[in-house]
Formats: sequence, C-alpha cells, structure tokens
Amino acid sequence: MNVSGLMPGILPRLPPGWKVSRRVVVERLYSLVVADGFERRGMRRLHVLYANSIRVARDTSLNMVLEALENDLQRYTATATSEMTFLHAGVVGWRGRAIMVPGCSLSGKTTLVREMLRLGATYYSDEFAVVDDSGLVHPFARPLGIREDFFPAQTNYTAENLGASTGVKPLPLGTAVLCSYEAGARWQPALLSQGQGALELLANSVAVRCQPHQTLRRLQKLVEHAVFVKGARGEAREAAASILNQSCAEEGWGAA
Amino acid sequence: MREQQFPRARQDCLSREFGDEVLVYDLQRNVGHCLNSTAAATWRLCDGNNNSSQIAGTLSRQLSVQVDESIVQLALDQLGDAHLLVEREAPTEHPSRRVAIRRMGIAAAIALPLVTSIIAPTPAQAASCLHNLQACTSNAQCCSGLCAPAVHTCVGG
Repeated sequence: MNVSGLMPGILPRLPPGWKVSRRVVVERLYSLVVADGFERRGMRRLHVLYANSIRVARDTSLNMVLEALENDLQRYTATATSEMTFLHAGVVGWRGRAIMVPGCSLSGKTTLVREMLRLGATYYSDEFAVVDDSGLVHPFARPLGIREDFFPAQTNYTAENLGASTGVKPLPLGTAVLCSYEAGARWQPALLSQGQGALELLANSVAVRCQPHQTLRRLQKLVEHAVFVKGARGEAREAAASILNQSCAEEGWGAA
Repeated sequence: MREQQFPRARQDCLSREFGDEVLVYDLQRNVGHCLNSTAAATWRLCDGNNNSSQIAGTLSRQLSVQVDESIVQLALDQLGDAHLLVEREAPTEHPSRRVAIRRMGIAAAIALPLVTSIIAPTPAQAASCLHNLQACTSNAQCCSGLCAPAVHTCVGG
C-alpha cells in the first residue's frame, strides 16, 4: 500500500478464519496503489490493485477496489487450498446436519439461505461449502451478499443482522438442494441418485481441474449419507420451509 | 486387431464408486461422467478381450437376469460417445435407445444404461463473480475485471 491507515477497512474483507502468518515468503502478494488526493482537470483518479504482477482491479471508487480484493482473495483461497475442497454452494446447519444449496451466481442460493436462517437454521456460508478429508462441511461464514431485486450491487449482512447464529462445528451433509428460480413454480423436487448428485456437486467444485483426485475422494465421503433433491422453486420462503421440514421429517424426502 | 474390435475402457481416467453408480473424471478433457449401474457394469467389463455378446453373457451371470446384447450395445454407444472407451476404428451400426427399449420389453429387469456428463468448471465459472454480458456496476464484480461503463455489462475475460 502506498498510504497508511487502510488496514481497518481491509481486515473485515479477509477470508473467514484468517490468521497472521510469520512466513516471510508469500504465495501471493497484493499491492494496492491508492490515487493521490489532487484533482487534475481531465484526469480520473484511479485506485489500482495488483496480485503479484497482474492487475486485478482499477476503479475510481476505493470501495470497489477493496471489493475486488475481497473477491480475488476468496477465489484464490478456494483454488489454492489443497487441504479442503471448496464447492460453490450456500450452506446452513439444521439439526446437526448440513443443508447445501449448490449453484452459480444469480441462481438464488443466497436468497434461499437467508430464508432458511429466518426459519432458525444456523449460518455456514452463502458462497462456499468447505469439505475436509472426512467429508465434513466447515463454515465459511463471510457476510451474506444480498442482491435486492436482482440489482447487481450487493449489500452485506452478517447472520446476526438477520437474527441467526453462525455455525462453528463441521457437519456431515444431510441434504443437497439443487434448484433454480421459476416465477410461480411450486416446490416439488425429485430425488436424485447419489451418483447424479455427486456429478452436480462436481459441476460446482472450484478446483476440480487442478485437484481432481482430492475432489473426487472428498465428494465420495461427503455424499455417503446425503439426500439429493432437484427442482424448480418459486418464492424462497415456501421452498425454505419445505426443505427444513423434510430434512428432519422421519419419512424424509421419500415422500417428496 | 483384437484391440480395435473389442471395446476397451480407457485407463487414464479417475473413477469412484457411488453405490452401484460410478463417477468418472476424464483428466484429458476435464469432463465428469456419471455411469448408472448398467453402464458402470458394462464399462468394467470392457477389457479389450470381450465382444458385446460375451459382455452380455457375463452381465447376465453377474446380475442373475437375462441381459440382451442390444443393451450392451447401447451402453457401449454411450460410453463411446463420452470418450470413455479406447477409440474403435470402424464404429458399427447399433440399435437405437428406442429399439433397445422395444427389445427389452416394458418390464425390464435392469435399468437402461445411462451416461450423464458435465464439463468441469474453471475456477472463475465456479465463483460468484458476474460473467460476460451480465449487468454490473463496477469492475470488481466481473470475473473478467471489466465492467463496460456505457452499457453496465461485464465484458472481456
């Protein structure tokens, strides 16, 4: 950084669970060049962020550049970590098991996670399911990035802002919910086989191309006792209630 | 010659069993495949030493049901289309899925072979950044790092 005093704004943007390292050699070095305060006619004041020697972001808004830092750090963590497998998915804890909502951006997974939190679930993540060698799902509890009415800009909320608590303990996967939003659709999901479900998770594995062995091994452990359901959902509130009810019902998803 | 005629499973793919299904990851093409029980059983028997008739016979013994050769042909077609077999030089005409179903009859004892495939995502595809042509308000939101200011759309990358 070419100016001091920015760290308080950067620390909340570091990936959940970050720690200070004493290592002198780093794998990725970020450089933030903040534009000086002098206005010059016909010139835009641009703040620039580099990762190693590659420019990651350049914008007149420092906040946007810090947002790029946050996104890039999360993406890098998800790709470079070999001890864990990162799946692109929202996760909540419910009755001792994880409910996972895999999906790409704008698929509505954060909305569904938010509704499940309102109904009493515990927050684990709205972005990544982090899976260890035993197939347990760890929290990656960054603030929920909520897009209001599909406006591209996000507003961040902590789980506590939404009246929910954040999970700490790793959980086995109970249910994986594969859904897409369809206006007016009634949530009537179909059950998927374990293999089909694992394939869907593979499609949301961040680092499968560079870590295929670990990814497949951890997926096999992850899905051992999991149920997979797939379907179109209408309003998130209705689907969330149904998912939580059926995830803990004795007859489970057999009646779905 | 024998290798060209008899189906042989590729050995350079990763595979893991999920119940009676098999998940196969093609390291060369970065494609994942899910083989249902019938396709998986057929794939396991593709050792380059058995033709479809012999595979059908072995499957019949393993599963204790009569497995028609057309089922095996259908499985081989799907496995071939998914590039999970060592390429055969001259592909032969095989019955379609519809013909195979007709031959099996309605009350089949085993599932029709099915191979489902997906292309493995790149890290950017499997992350919550906005892809090209999606609406944006800043560069930071785009996977490409470039939000075109005039149209507020992610471009490049």
